[in-house]
Amino acid sequence: MSARKIVITSGKGGVGKTTTTANLGAALAKRGKRVILVDADIGLRNLDLVLGLEKRIVFDLVEVAEGRCQLRQALIKDKRFENLSVLPAAQTRDKDAVTEAQFAAIVDQAAEIADYVLIDCPAGIEGGFRNAIAGANEGIIVTTPEVSAIRDADRVVGKLAEKNVPMRLVVNRLRPEMVRSGDMLSVDDVCEILAIELVGIVPDDEEVIDTTNRGEPIVLDETARLSAIYDKIARRLEGEVVAFTNFENQSFFGRLFGALKAG
Amino acid sequence: MHVLRQTQDENQPQDAAAITGARNLGRAIVITSGKGGVGKTTTAANLGTALAQRGARVALVDADVGLRNLDIVLGLESRVKHHLLDVLDETVTLDDALVSDKHSDTLFLLAAAQTREKDEVDTDKMRALVQQLRERFDYVLIDCPAGIEMGFKNAIAGAEEAIVVCTPEVSAVRDVDRVVGLLGNRFKPQLVINRLRPQLVKKGKMLSVDDVNAILRLPLLGVIADEPEIIVTTNKGEPIALRKDGQTANAYHAIAARIAGEDVAAPTVELKKESFLDKLGAFFGGRRS
Repeated sequence: MSARKIVITSGKGGVGKTTTTANLGAALAKRGKRVILVDADIGLRNLDLVLGLEKRIVFDLVEVAEGRCQLRQALIKDKRFENLSVLPAAQTRDKDAVTEAQFAAIVDQAAEIADYVLIDCPAGIEGGFRNAIAGANEGIIVTTPEVSAIRDADRVVGKLAEKNVPMRLVVNRLRPEMVRSGDMLSVDDVCEILAIELVGIVPDDEEVIDTTNRGEPIVLDETARLSAIYDKIARRLEGEVVAFTNFENQSFFGRLFGALKAG
Repeated sequence: MHVLRQTQDENQPQDAAAITGARNLGRAIVITSGKGGVGKTTTAANLGTALAQRGARVALVDADVGLRNLDIVLGLESRVKHHLLDVLDETVTLDDALVSDKHSDTLFLLAAAQTREKDEVDTDKMRALVQQLRERFDYVLIDCPAGIEMGFKNAIAGAEEAIVVCTPEVSAVRDVDRVVGLLGNRFKPQLVINRLRPQLVKKGKMLSVDDVNAILRLPLLGVIADEPEIIVTTNKGEPIALRKDGQTANAYHAIAARIAGEDVAAPTVELKKESFLDKLGAFFGGRRS
């Protein structure tokens, strides 16, 4: 059975594509899946940093595309999970250093030795985006509940729909108290506008800033609230039916105790 | 709260060109970052507003063809009739395409096309357009798309100065460092550090202003604290710089003053008092969401 090839994209930058890729990858690996993460952001790579693997890079995606090394040589094994590895992007090259066909071929090759290939797409809808979606057969759209992010996500949904790529949605950085005060769009609002299936709701959590800076995906911390949330998304990807937590309607004390139970 | 207040209370000198009516060429400044979502568009909208509030004539150019957002942040999305590519294609005049701002008389927006692609923009024509805008405005602020592809190249083509926006995160700093390299020697980029959370810096969980600038080594134009109000004002289409007071509004006005050449006290961000709820949240080891 061939691996699932999922592109993680958003249109707008800074909504959490790389964080989502790293954490979903780790959550799937924790469940025993063989996972390969591909950083498609040539010239502005960051996935290696988020995973704390930046010092271990020897070869990169462009060198694989140019046939200067084997895919296996370029893959960096994660420090914590045997079955998780990363194909880093080149940092000093341009996105047009790789063609769509070359990119798709690399993803297919990765798919032969993995259960999941997660592709971390660059921001925007230029060449880097076209490369990143070229090899994918599924998409995860990441958006924040902000008008500008949703507008950009909508544009990307259109682009993936043109290519008949099925998509699911992660609503990232939800601030329930702002939704309650009417200052932020709710998950329902976002789903209504984008009209694609929801696969995850991730609340805003300042802990992520710290774990990202330290290169340790938050799913590694079993006590972290977001760890359980990414695990749920991984289970939904696996086909399990997992109920969504309704963050928006929880009372303050409910959330407080919910947080204690890592819920 | 009033760290930067004095900058506003002074006699608000008008920009030279506005006083004399002299049509010297305006300044073309690109606002860029490499990484997306660090606040380029918010910075462009607020600096445009703050400069206009000082009486300067300002053109904001949205260079994010296909993923425009500057119109939303300014609350002008319903008023956009024509866009950048219409002007470059010469199907409408610049006057037809410039959208007059709702709040500031001297602020105008040139919106990006939403249903076109970035590689449809001709770099030479873009450069000529910025030149044309410089003849009519004191400031031309260009809101650059994320990334370093064609959209970036077109956005910097006509600019003479650059403001780089960075959040205090390792990934954003790395991307800015790359962009500074790509900008090359033609620009002398100045830095805006955005979304600083003093509370997190204090706990050692976020890079400080000094940490960021130890890596980037750029002249610091300003520091903006992270605050939920920005999300609200962005969704509403009312830049926070329209306000006369408040830490963030003051910080933008101070940056505008620095851009205009005033000698303004060094940027700082005040540590807000921890609220009871913050403490409660910390006590339970939970993170308030």
